[in-house]
Amino acid sequence: MFHWLEQKPFFFAVVLFLTVAFAGFVTIVPDFAKQSQPTVGTKPYTVLELAGRQVYIKDSCNACHSQLIRPFKSETDRYGMYSLSGEYAYDRPFLWGSKRAGPDLMRVGNYRTTDWHENHMMNPSDVVPGTVMPKYPHQFTNMADLATAYANANTQKELFGVPYDTDGMPKLGSWAEAEAQAKEDAKLIASDMKNQSVKDAVANGQVPEIVALIAYLNSLK
Amino acid sequence: MKKMVIGGIILIVALMAGTYFVAGDAFQSDDYINTLTMIGALAIIAITIFTVLKYVNQIKNDTASGELVDENWDGIGEYTNAIPSGWGIIFIGTIIWMFWYFFVGYPTNQFSQIGQYNEEVLENNAKFKSVWENPTDETLKAMGESVFLVQCAPCHGVDAEGINGKAQNLTHRMSKEQVLSVIQNGQQKLGYPMGAMPPMMAQGADAEAIATYIAGGMKGEAPVAFAACASCHGADGKGMNGMSPNIAEYDEKLVTKVLEHGKKGVIGTMPSFKGRLNPTQEKAVASFLTSIKAGE
Repeated sequence: MFHWLEQKPFFFAVVLFLTVAFAGFVTIVPDFAKQSQPTVGTKPYTVLELAGRQVYIKDSCNACHSQLIRPFKSETDRYGMYSLSGEYAYDRPFLWGSKRAGPDLMRVGNYRTTDWHENHMMNPSDVVPGTVMPKYPHQFTNMADLATAYANANTQKELFGVPYDTDGMPKLGSWAEAEAQAKEDAKLIASDMKNQSVKDAVANGQVPEIVALIAYLNSLK
Repeated sequence: MKKMVIGGIILIVALMAGTYFVAGDAFQSDDYINTLTMIGALAIIAITIFTVLKYVNQIKNDTASGELVDENWDGIGEYTNAIPSGWGIIFIGTIIWMFWYFFVGYPTNQFSQIGQYNEEVLENNAKFKSVWENPTDETLKAMGESVFLVQCAPCHGVDAEGINGKAQNLTHRMSKEQVLSVIQNGQQKLGYPMGAMPPMMAQGADAEAIATYIAGGMKGEAPVAFAACASCHGADGKGMNGMSPNIAEYDEKLVTKVLEHGKKGVIGTMPSFKGRLNPTQEKAVASFLTSIKAGE
């Protein structure tokens, strides 16, 4: 019956590919487009948070910590509400991670605070006995890169239409405005911290990496 | 041939025995999935062994016969045999199963991952309720300890002593520094019926005296300035039956209030645990915390 088709292998392969591709397209794309819309209440990161996010990536936090809570009772009991696709709408790149040497951090801002992170990043085994997490004391002396964070945010705004500067969303503005705002935000974080050199640096208008990182971790809710 | 059959049976029995020896405990639980997996594995082994035996036999003894189809491919022909009846039955079976799957089993858009999650939560909550409906003090304390180790220990430490001042020492109510800080800044967050505590209720030496008295466990004669505290917290500091925070010791009301509202004090900030623990678990944590104080 299909002898005529079996005699035309190239034509057959092309038609087969088109059929499967079309079926895949109509099943995957509409739902994907719908699910990837930002969830109500999801906001883009501020410049300080983005700088912290870069520290998070630079120090490879995502190698051991996931940011994706699966819909199982055992996970939601420990980490909070399961993740929705729309919550990652402003994550570029996303940091789902694939390995949990440490706990999930999707909503760590709900149950850890600035002072805890400060103690923990300086020496994790101080607060979590037996932890395998290494120390990150260099974050207290290295300065965060606000300029790159601003460039990152601005690119997302211009290129991908991320709604900075719109009603109810974080303000970006010019570089000077954004830098001033980031330093204001840093002061709020530093006021909850105890490390004197970090406090001094923030008072002098500098932003140590740890401050940006804590701002980012606190924003994960 | 007989040797192979006997060998196959011995292999099956050996695998069964080995599995039972290694993981026999898993079959004692009320979860049937392990047993199901085991039966499946046995079926695979049995079918494999006997199919292999059948075909080894066939290769040894069978000769090809039958009518060839007209077409051939470079001299390679094909018999016009009917398909094996087993294949035919399975093929028709899959068509019937497809209708079942579409219209009865999983109708389009009827299954949802979140729906399954919600069912899991409901089932779990019902189970929790039925098992812990009337907990005794002992079970509450044990439950409180395990909740504490998961939820509280990351900050307060496994011994609840606050990891060298990095969080509240839960074996002791308040330190002098904390009392002074509360007197100076007030406390607005806890949501007791008495309402917020205003800052600067006492100053200087008075505040010092109060702080020393409270931090010392409220033993001996109360300083005169303590009258300002006693008007809300009671002369014994126990908070007038839940109208205001108990400053003498931890009690259930205080623990649940702090879990609900979180706390910001001189040490740092504690996040709110609202919605993370159910009421029984909160009660359990309170019961555990009051018990470790008693054992000091």
